[in-house]
Amino acid sequence: MNVPEDRRYTDQHEWGLVEDGKLRIGITDYAQDALGDVVFVDLPAVGNHVDAGSTVAEVESTKSLAEVYAPVSGTVANVNSALTSTPELINRDPYGEGWFLIIEMDDPSQVEGLLDAAGYKALIT
Amino acid sequence: MPSQSPLHAAHERLGARFTDFGGWEMPLQYEGTLAEHRAVRTRCGVFDVSHLGRFRLAGPDAHGLVSRLLCNDIDRIEPGRAQYTMLLDDGGGVVDDIIVWWLEDADFLVLPNAGNSDEIVERFRSAAPMGTRVEDRRSETALIAVQGPDSAAILDQAVGVHPSRFRVEAGEGPSPMIAAGTGYTGERGAEIVIESGHAEAVFSRVVEAGARPCGLGARDTLRLEMGYPLWGQDLDRETTPLEAGLDWVVGWDHDFVGRDALARQRDEGLRKRLVGFALEDRRVPRHGYPLRAGPAAGSVSSGNFSPTLEVGIGMGYLAPDPGENVDSVEVAIRGEWIAAPRVNPPFIGH
Repeated sequence: MNVPEDRRYTDQHEWGLVEDGKLRIGITDYAQDALGDVVFVDLPAVGNHVDAGSTVAEVESTKSLAEVYAPVSGTVANVNSALTSTPELINRDPYGEGWFLIIEMDDPSQVEGLLDAAGYKALIT
Repeated sequence: MPSQSPLHAAHERLGARFTDFGGWEMPLQYEGTLAEHRAVRTRCGVFDVSHLGRFRLAGPDAHGLVSRLLCNDIDRIEPGRAQYTMLLDDGGGVVDDIIVWWLEDADFLVLPNAGNSDEIVERFRSAAPMGTRVEDRRSETALIAVQGPDSAAILDQAVGVHPSRFRVEAGEGPSPMIAAGTGYTGERGAEIVIESGHAEAVFSRVVEAGARPCGLGARDTLRLEMGYPLWGQDLDRETTPLEAGLDWVVGWDHDFVGRDALARQRDEGLRKRLVGFALEDRRVPRHGYPLRAGPAAGSVSSGNFSPTLEVGIGMGYLAPDPGENVDSVEVAIRGEWIAAPRVNPPFIGH
């Protein structure tokens, strides 16, 4: 499984990449592989406030329904609207075009509490 | 320990992901359910369905047993044909839905569902008089389904036989087999019983001829698009074939277990009725989600994403019977009631 070194991870299989002080969020290669073909994504409205650990999106695959949790607290600054018509981007490119949303963090130091690539790799192997 | 198909090692080499189904460890998918679904709709796929029951029923009373125990009328067909039918209980509830292959006058192959096989075998054994044999063939054979618009050419090349719809034919060539023009996908194709020792060779020839290996994930979305019921979800002992909208499976012109109860229900009305529906977006209705239409309520029996229509589709039971005139239902998806036009399956044009 691919686990890029440039970002942080949660034990619920989300990734977060810090960009310009904001956190871009998606699900890991391991998560998309376990879910199978993704067919629908329910994304939050821009401007919503989310707490770390709360449900921020839902993903339906041909197999099951999964929740995506916010790795940090903050305000939804942007969502990947391409996922609405082409949710298969999540399977094809989970760390790139398959991103979910961007959060304007309440407290950027929360990122330090997330797993690094080595820690996440240890969790899934 | 779950049972394994004679093709298990072949699936592992193909990178299959497995799931438990009726006590059997069977491929859920190889590379992906959507691609496998589309392969069957546009070209051809091959499924290992060795978990399904299959037993030989032969002897002087074989025809009589099939006729008395099963609700479809075997005399609607003739030897060399297959028929979809059901075993009901005295109350008309569906104990199992079954395919019967009529091989020769007094020789049948009966195919119940995986999880019901032992019970159906037992029912036939205890009803069979001396001289009529019930031989469970599940441990000595594999069963594969080759399905899709290109299946005839692939079957010709790989196994030398492609039975037309509901016809049963013995295979030619080096591997003993029996094939029937049946399936669970809505596409042309065949289901083939093969001696276990030849199963890998036949499966490989079918794959080499161009059929894509497909798992039970795609089998489920394919059958749902056709509105075909799955026992345990859409059918069970609490449900009659009339409530399931499967009146055509009931052969009223003969006597069978459960006939009196069904006849009463036909006269007095249904307790509940199966309805189909299609959402207007990609949201996915799933088994157990609440369903309603006016005063009628119930739950989704089967639901998933339709890869062909690219919307969520499903079916479920409503009680009291909402009748034929209800043209819209509501389904609760994660607590939110969503209106969905009623659709009488099949959901896709076939």
